[in-house]
Amino acid sequence: MSILIGIGTSNKKDPFAAASEAANFALHQIHHKEITLALLFSTIHFADKRLLEGITYNLGRVPVLGCTGANLITSKGITNYGVGLMLFSCPGKLRLGCAASHNIHLQNARDAGKEFADLALHNLGGTQRDLALIFPDGLIENGSEFLRGIKEAFGLSFPIFGGSSADNLRFHRTFQYFNGQLLSQSIVGAVFAGDNLFGIGLRHGWKPLGRPHLITEAKGNVIKKIEDKPAVSIYEEYFGKTLAEIKKDLIRISIYYPLGIYVAGEAEYLLRNALRIDDDGGLVCQGDAAQGSDARLMMGTKDWALEAATEAAKEARAGLEGKTIKGALIFESISRHKLLGRLTERELLRIKEVLGNIPIIGIGTFGEQAPLKALERHGETYFHNETIAILAIGEPHGSA
Amino acid sequence: MDPLNQVRDPMLLESIINFAGMIGLVGMILLSIVLVFKMERLRTLNAELAKLRRAFEELDEQAKLIVRTDLELHRAQEELDKKVAGLVTLQKLTRLLTTTLDEEEIFHKLDERNICELGYDRALGFTRDGQGSFLVRIAIGYAPAEAQALAGEFTGQPMIVDKVLGKSNVFASSDSDRTAQEIPRLLKALGLSSFVCAPIPQKDGAIGALVLGYESPYTHLTDSDKDLVYVLAAQIGQALENAKLFEEQWRAQQDLENKIQQRTRELTAALQEIKAISKRKSDFISAVSHELRTPLTSIKGYASIVAAGKLGELPPAAKERIEKINKHSDNLSSLINNLLDIARIESGREVLKFEAVNLKALADNLADMLAPPMKDKGIEFSIQIPPEVPLVRADRNQIDRVFINIVGNAIKFTPPGGRITVAARLQDPQTVEIKVSDTGIGIAPNDLEKIFEEFYRVDNEVNQSAKGTGLGLTLVKYIVEAHHGKLSVSSQVGHGSHFIFTLPKA
Repeated sequence: MSILIGIGTSNKKDPFAAASEAANFALHQIHHKEITLALLFSTIHFADKRLLEGITYNLGRVPVLGCTGANLITSKGITNYGVGLMLFSCPGKLRLGCAASHNIHLQNARDAGKEFADLALHNLGGTQRDLALIFPDGLIENGSEFLRGIKEAFGLSFPIFGGSSADNLRFHRTFQYFNGQLLSQSIVGAVFAGDNLFGIGLRHGWKPLGRPHLITEAKGNVIKKIEDKPAVSIYEEYFGKTLAEIKKDLIRISIYYPLGIYVAGEAEYLLRNALRIDDDGGLVCQGDAAQGSDARLMMGTKDWALEAATEAAKEARAGLEGKTIKGALIFESISRHKLLGRLTERELLRIKEVLGNIPIIGIGTFGEQAPLKALERHGETYFHNETIAILAIGEPHGSA
Repeated sequence: MDPLNQVRDPMLLESIINFAGMIGLVGMILLSIVLVFKMERLRTLNAELAKLRRAFEELDEQAKLIVRTDLELHRAQEELDKKVAGLVTLQKLTRLLTTTLDEEEIFHKLDERNICELGYDRALGFTRDGQGSFLVRIAIGYAPAEAQALAGEFTGQPMIVDKVLGKSNVFASSDSDRTAQEIPRLLKALGLSSFVCAPIPQKDGAIGALVLGYESPYTHLTDSDKDLVYVLAAQIGQALENAKLFEEQWRAQQDLENKIQQRTRELTAALQEIKAISKRKSDFISAVSHELRTPLTSIKGYASIVAAGKLGELPPAAKERIEKINKHSDNLSSLINNLLDIARIESGREVLKFEAVNLKALADNLADMLAPPMKDKGIEFSIQIPPEVPLVRADRNQIDRVFINIVGNAIKFTPPGGRITVAARLQDPQTVEIKVSDTGIGIAPNDLEKIFEEFYRVDNEVNQSAKGTGLGLTLVKYIVEAHHGKLSVSSQVGHGSHFIFTLPKA
């Protein structure tokens, strides 16, 4: 049987009604066939137990994974208010092991990642595995650390794809959906085994500006010193602002001008958003930045961002190696939407131009997870900022 | 020769030393030259490096300039995007609000989705109720009880009461006046990082306020936020005003309709009563007329026998009295017959025998019938009924009576030498209009309304001398109405009258 993918959306105020409406739309598109997986995304307004009750009521007890996003992306458009559901029906073609690791803020992030991955592998059973899909809490300070734990279980070169949950840029609380549970401060996801049905594309389009700056001291996700000066000085110097001014406007500045870490062999720099400034002037980033590497101030334009979306879509399509594209997931940094402003919808059009008119679902994220392509990196998955990550789902021609 | 001895030769030794010195010197010179060249190269390279470093630094400085400008551009772009998105949503909301005439519905339109589309996270709206306290109308992001407490908190702020509700100005949490103490506390209570509060205006001033706010500390308020919330609140005010006007108008209309219905009921009841009275009257007249006609017939019969001398020749005086009895009996009989006809037509007991009637023929017949009295008075009688006037659908006998009554009256009230005209025309495709005009004495305006009433007789010289029942025109009216026609009269005293009635086309 062919893979069936359906999507449903709703902006009904009542979460239960919204879930019901989205579920019925999606069910109709998969001709009410057996559901292998349900991916549920919503804006923060719908993060309510009743949303999941609505899903269970309409779909029964099926595997449900998902999270809240800063906005909701579907083939129909991008909205700041709504619920989106993608249903997969592919019995016999795809096996999955779902898992959730709770309260990750209370434990070592690496251990939490490892715990999640072990559980997912256990639930999958068997030895074959193709890809892991993860939705971690976007408010975890170091997104690289739990990823390290996951990689410990899956192996360095195992492809991991995901998006960090987000809220309405309040950075207050985000939610994850796992079967009937409404979770927070958790990581949910699944590991898949099947006929290599996935193609990944990753781009951001930001370009370096000014001279390289050597990171002279760093620890995990904290860049302490750049050229032996407190790391924040890079922003102070470039923007001609005082420390107090930078502190006040850091998120905004960091969204438009992230730091880029040079990665040998990669087409683009690895981007890092600064979340806050330590007392000693160190920049606390969302992901790791290695000591001894060069950091650049990065700059983006709408055109570059749109071009990056096209490139990411092409890369995802190429990853399918000629298979028929059945659907796609998009996890895209909300920073890009800030940069694109009213052209955000145009980005979706660019993606559809490449992938075709297929079911698409995704969210605006607080971080993205996807493997790097460079040979030197051996396909290792990294934590990204300000990036668009596209997962194309396909199946060989003539599958039935 | 021993080489050692040769070296020991001072001359040779000196030569060797000199040669070595020469070589050394040349070497030194060459080395110095190379060194000088190397130094020069190094200096050049250093200069190049310094130049490159300077260019690099300059480029970096330019990069700084670029990012600073770019940051400002982003700020402007964000502001512009926000304005455009806000205006688009505002336009949509305005359309929604202006098409809503229910007060509750107006506030329901501002739901979470719309507020979110405007770019805000939470909203609070409240209006004054009749007792002067504030009623929460919009609560997005707040539970009802929480919203009510927050509305109290807002309206308890003298600064907001003064600025927003008093002076109808818009207020933003970022406004830097004497808000240092109050605003952070309010922001905390609202769970917001910033907010804009705008008055909901009406003719007599602000009736409440609309608060829209951002949860994210990274979204900064700008002037466009103030403009947007101000316009939205104004739209709400306008919509409420419209709803109020509509409500008032609706109520007035309802009152009017109620009054009309009440009046209609009263009139219907009165009409029923009149009909009942009229029926009783008709029944009474009918009964009385029947009772009168039987003895009258006997009186007339006996009077005729006596007058004919069948009971013996009468003395002239008795004969004269008997003839008077006979004449008055005829008048009384005519009166009773008219009353009976009216009663029959009014009660619907008279069944009309409709047929196609030729008005011209009818008028000609009438002319023959009434020729003698007209001839006596020298009245000119004219019939103006063109051939194209169609036949009418009427009861021939009844319409005859109509003509006889109207033309008879005309003869009666037209002085000698006058003129009477009977004309007809097609009024509309279904109706024929008949007009009887005379050059008689005319009817006074206050009599015009009454001449169709039963037993009404115009007080004039002719009536004073001529006999009449006062029932002729009443009968005419009933007959015309029984034909679904209309009867009217126009007249000018001294210049004659026009009686117009309509009949349906056959």
